[in-house]
Amino acid sequence: MSAVGAAGALFGRDIRAVVRSRSQLYSSILTPLLFLVFLGNGVSEGLAPANLKAGNFTAYLVAGVVVMTSVFSATFSSASYYKDRDSGLLRMLLSSPHSARTVLFGKSLAGVCIGVLQASVVLLLAAPFVEFEWQYGLVRGLVVAFATIVLLNVMLSGLAQALASRVETMQGFHLVMNLALFPLLFFSGAFFPVDNLPAWLEVLARINPLSYAVDALELAAYADGRSGFFGLALDFAVMGALAVGVYALGLARTPRLTWSGK
Amino acid sequence: MPPPIIEATDVVFEYGERRALDGLTLSVPAGSVFGLLGPNGSGKSTFVSLLAAMERPSAGQLSVFGEEPAAALRARVGTVFQENALDPLMTPTETLQLAGRLFGLSAGTIREQSKRRLAEFGLSERANDSVAKLSGGMRRRLEMCRALLHDPELLLLDEPTTGVDPDERQSLWAALLGRAGGSRTILLATNDLSEADQVCDHVAFIQAGRVMASGTPAELKQGLKRESVRVGWDSPTEEQLATVAGWAGEGQVTAHDGSVHITVDDASAFVPRLFALAPGAIRSVAIEKASLEDAYFRHVARRTQTVAGAS
Repeated sequence: MSAVGAAGALFGRDIRAVVRSRSQLYSSILTPLLFLVFLGNGVSEGLAPANLKAGNFTAYLVAGVVVMTSVFSATFSSASYYKDRDSGLLRMLLSSPHSARTVLFGKSLAGVCIGVLQASVVLLLAAPFVEFEWQYGLVRGLVVAFATIVLLNVMLSGLAQALASRVETMQGFHLVMNLALFPLLFFSGAFFPVDNLPAWLEVLARINPLSYAVDALELAAYADGRSGFFGLALDFAVMGALAVGVYALGLARTPRLTWSGK
Repeated sequence: MPPPIIEATDVVFEYGERRALDGLTLSVPAGSVFGLLGPNGSGKSTFVSLLAAMERPSAGQLSVFGEEPAAALRARVGTVFQENALDPLMTPTETLQLAGRLFGLSAGTIREQSKRRLAEFGLSERANDSVAKLSGGMRRRLEMCRALLHDPELLLLDEPTTGVDPDERQSLWAALLGRAGGSRTILLATNDLSEADQVCDHVAFIQAGRVMASGTPAELKQGLKRESVRVGWDSPTEEQLATVAGWAGEGQVTAHDGSVHITVDDASAFVPRLFALAPGAIRSVAIEKASLEDAYFRHVARRTQTVAGAS
């Protein structure tokens, strides 16, 4: 019984659970799309196109909703940790001949895969309806966007896993995720430009990991130059380091359950 | 005497300040159905969790298959938890597929073993229904199927029939001890004494993390009075209980929740004297042959008022 086989079995099981949980699947994709349609169209009139690197707010918002989709997905996927714990299944998994780390790895891998898929679907559905420059060419632009989405989801999955193994209840987990991630999301440049913010908010935006994902997606999809951006090299260096570090942190602390599941 | 599969010597386990196992010593022979009996909180589940390598002893020696319990040994062990450990969104077939892959079985073996186990436990027709639609008894049977799927040498059952109706309970044990059972060793942690009396060939009574007595059910019943009288008796006075305990031929007397349990040499002589002692206060009288429960009350008297200890 190899650890790869066991992780693969858990991967398949978690993918199936998400596919069957229709509400999770639909809300993860539809919410960002609705956000895009309504907020994009509604705010386009209010924001001066000259302030936006994309020229119009709908196109501008795409990078933000892709990041937001990944955030939602990581949150939902880690909720499966609590569902498995509460249904008792986690105890069964941990009483198999595999280490708790193998169990967590299989589950988090499914979370990453689901997040990447959902964020990619949102990007691909939005792309035909907005004016993207694809300054590196369509194929290279899509590769950059996909790589960004993968690194982002690895990082978010690690963060969610690290929290889930430390926070006792699902409600507490959602609270911490919302408190931590929504401010990061808003000050990442996902929904409005952060260039003209007060200096202290600009500092927050610069140390915000999500800013680098938004930056890379903007560069890949609709930017028509590199001025005013962090640059892909810095984006990928930051996201790569954080993805490895945070994912390792997520797997470092394994759940400790007693026989009775308490 | 077959060699022991499990050997525990002076095993101690502490949860922070609380000592859940306090020098527990026992030996489980290979091929036996071994009952670990004790009140809630006596340390049964803690001991089973040590065997499954989910916890490590704080002190003492513990071996399973001659080795210190470790994750790898779980491949030779099947487990059924006290509470359900099933995903309600999965079907029984998918549940067994997942378990089979975790235990390293090939796809063909999983198919073959799943079909066999589901048939043995009467679940073939529900193989593709969602677990959420199965009754409580069916879910317990599915857990048994899963525990047996990889044909383990040792089965750890922690109160496996809790919440299962008598019919389901009988069919579950019939399947488990019949063809599905094979020659494997079963460790049954339970506080259901009648169930243990029926299925166990070895028993240990544990209380406060220590073994109070162990042996075959016959050995444990030795020395008990021949018959057991359970009396529905509201509010017996201490004087009345002391009087009963003092009668010649009467043994252990325990009072608990409106019921008094007395072991006696001859119930036919005892019962008329009882009615004479407490006219109008006796609601019911049940007479049985001395059981494992009588032996249990002889050794484990937690939450009961023991009036007399002689037997």
